[in-house]
Amino acid sequence: MLAYTLRRIAQLVPVLLVLSMAVFAFVEALPGSIVDTLVGTEGGDIEEARAILTKEYGLDRPVHERYVLWLGRAVQGDFGKSLVTRRPISTELLSRIPATVYLASVGIVLSMLIAVPLGTFAAVRRNSAVDYTAQVTSLAGISIPEFWFAILCVLLFSLYLGWLPSSGYVSPFEDFWGSLQFLILPAAAIGFRQAAFTTRLTRSSMLDELSKEYVDTARALGHSERKVIFKYTLRNAMIPTITISGLQLANLLGGTVVLESIFAWPGIGRAIFEAILQRDYPLIQAGVLVLGFIVVVMNLLVDLTYRLLNPRVKFA
Amino acid sequence: MSELEADKLVDGTLAWRAPPAPLRSRRLATALSNAWHELRKSRTASIGAVMLVLLFGACIGTPWLATHDPIKQNYRERLQPPSEKHLLGTDRLGRDIYSRLLYGGRRLVTIAVVAVALSLVVGVPFGVLTGYFGGLADTIGMRIVDGLLAFPGLLLYLLFVTVAQAWKLEGVMIDVVLVSALALAGMPEKARLARGSVLAEKQKEYVEASRAVGDSSVSIALSQILPNIISPLIVTSTVRLGFVILIVAALSFLGLGTPPPTPDWGSDLSAARDYMETHPLIAAFPGLAICYTVLAFNLFGDGLRDILDPRIAER
Repeated sequence: MLAYTLRRIAQLVPVLLVLSMAVFAFVEALPGSIVDTLVGTEGGDIEEARAILTKEYGLDRPVHERYVLWLGRAVQGDFGKSLVTRRPISTELLSRIPATVYLASVGIVLSMLIAVPLGTFAAVRRNSAVDYTAQVTSLAGISIPEFWFAILCVLLFSLYLGWLPSSGYVSPFEDFWGSLQFLILPAAAIGFRQAAFTTRLTRSSMLDELSKEYVDTARALGHSERKVIFKYTLRNAMIPTITISGLQLANLLGGTVVLESIFAWPGIGRAIFEAILQRDYPLIQAGVLVLGFIVVVMNLLVDLTYRLLNPRVKFA
Repeated sequence: MSELEADKLVDGTLAWRAPPAPLRSRRLATALSNAWHELRKSRTASIGAVMLVLLFGACIGTPWLATHDPIKQNYRERLQPPSEKHLLGTDRLGRDIYSRLLYGGRRLVTIAVVAVALSLVVGVPFGVLTGYFGGLADTIGMRIVDGLLAFPGLLLYLLFVTVAQAWKLEGVMIDVVLVSALALAGMPEKARLARGSVLAEKQKEYVEASRAVGDSSVSIALSQILPNIISPLIVTSTVRLGFVILIVAALSFLGLGTPPPTPDWGSDLSAARDYMETHPLIAAFPGLAICYTVLAFNLFGDGLRDILDPRIAER
């Protein structure tokens, strides 16, 4: 396990390098140079400022040297300053991460709370009304665009019924109950959509497990159906479900851009979206790099957990 | 579908015997009737197929089906409910919603189809060749794929859109950038799938037979192995089409797609938000259109998987 873990960590290096090159190439692909943007906002002696900034950002050097320089700083957490707020990008991004993690993890927990019982029940009572309902609902959940579902929720619960605020954010550490009010709609929008995927998966892996021989054996030995399902089958069927939920969580950390902007949720996705609108290129660059890094590491953690849960998988 | 069936039946040396080529039109008719026969095995697939035929019919027939110019504004007829003149009513600028839906759908479906086709054209040979040759090519190729997969959610598209905006691209060029981003993001999935199947197929006898006869490696990889991995590719591509439509709609919902006044389901939906409380129907139609389209692809893909993968169909 240790050797495998180390090898997987070593494999992360080239992946992260490819990611960093892509993100670096993105800024290179922009027209003009960053100096023009900066000089335009600073005023004063333009030529002198231009020369100083060119040197400061290392733009007088060849591209591969600049990449190494940029990467070296990025590894130390120095992404430069935001063009808009003038604050260090690392602080800007760090302050946004908790909100996204909060929303994404509650959303995923919610989706599992819906999906696991529903998927299990659908598999056990195959071809029953519950099964069809589960299948139709999950197919609908996959096909409904999340932003449409979200604004329909806002329309119903905020505008017509007035039960919940339509957008906003309160930190759970300041006011836990108050923050829940703001959390419910976005988390439900995430939870419903992700549950659609997880329900299908739970159902099919449950069907897989139920058709295996050990289930017949357990039944033949006279174990109750309840015990067969909850103690033996469900445990095995949960392995892919947990894995996929982990991957969904990783993807959500970077994928909640749309919901975060609908609900004015101050997460990292919204930070990147705002940066795009304000043409804050260094922030976009750093944001994508950080999120990519988080996703790659999360994927590794999920993979390792999967192997811990499922010792039959060989460490190839 | 008949092509697929033939590939399945053909095994080993049989692959060498080219079937007699009947008249093209007759062959097409047979292929279609065979395909329909196969599809009827799965209710999901048949429903999906019917929905898709309607969808593509609407996309192709848009110029004839549309009743109004989708861009022309008419302030005297703003925010009207559905009527005989305006089948689905009018939006905040008095534009005919029905016609906008048609033109928007035509554009959206075209973008999705081109993007997925492009990701196949790039991804499949990439995966087949890296898988077939193995070694260093495989290692480097798969690291590139992993790097691309590391981009979470919408981020890759957001980068591309930012570059497009910075260059002040207009009209079709924005769509070209978007399509390239979508193709690039869809490529790893196809490459991995192709590579995995190649690794499995590579061991089989018919490949060895081709090699013994003296075929070149590239020709074996592309002409012998490729036809055998088509079914999973068709299934993932169909499902991916629905996914791509959701992404494109989400991007234009965020205001990062083609700028107005181009008819677009995502941006029309976003614009309708301001009138949602008083005129919820305006926001309902584009949303329903997206749902219908994505559902059609998902149903068809799901059903196709059941038909093509006998292991699942047994259940």
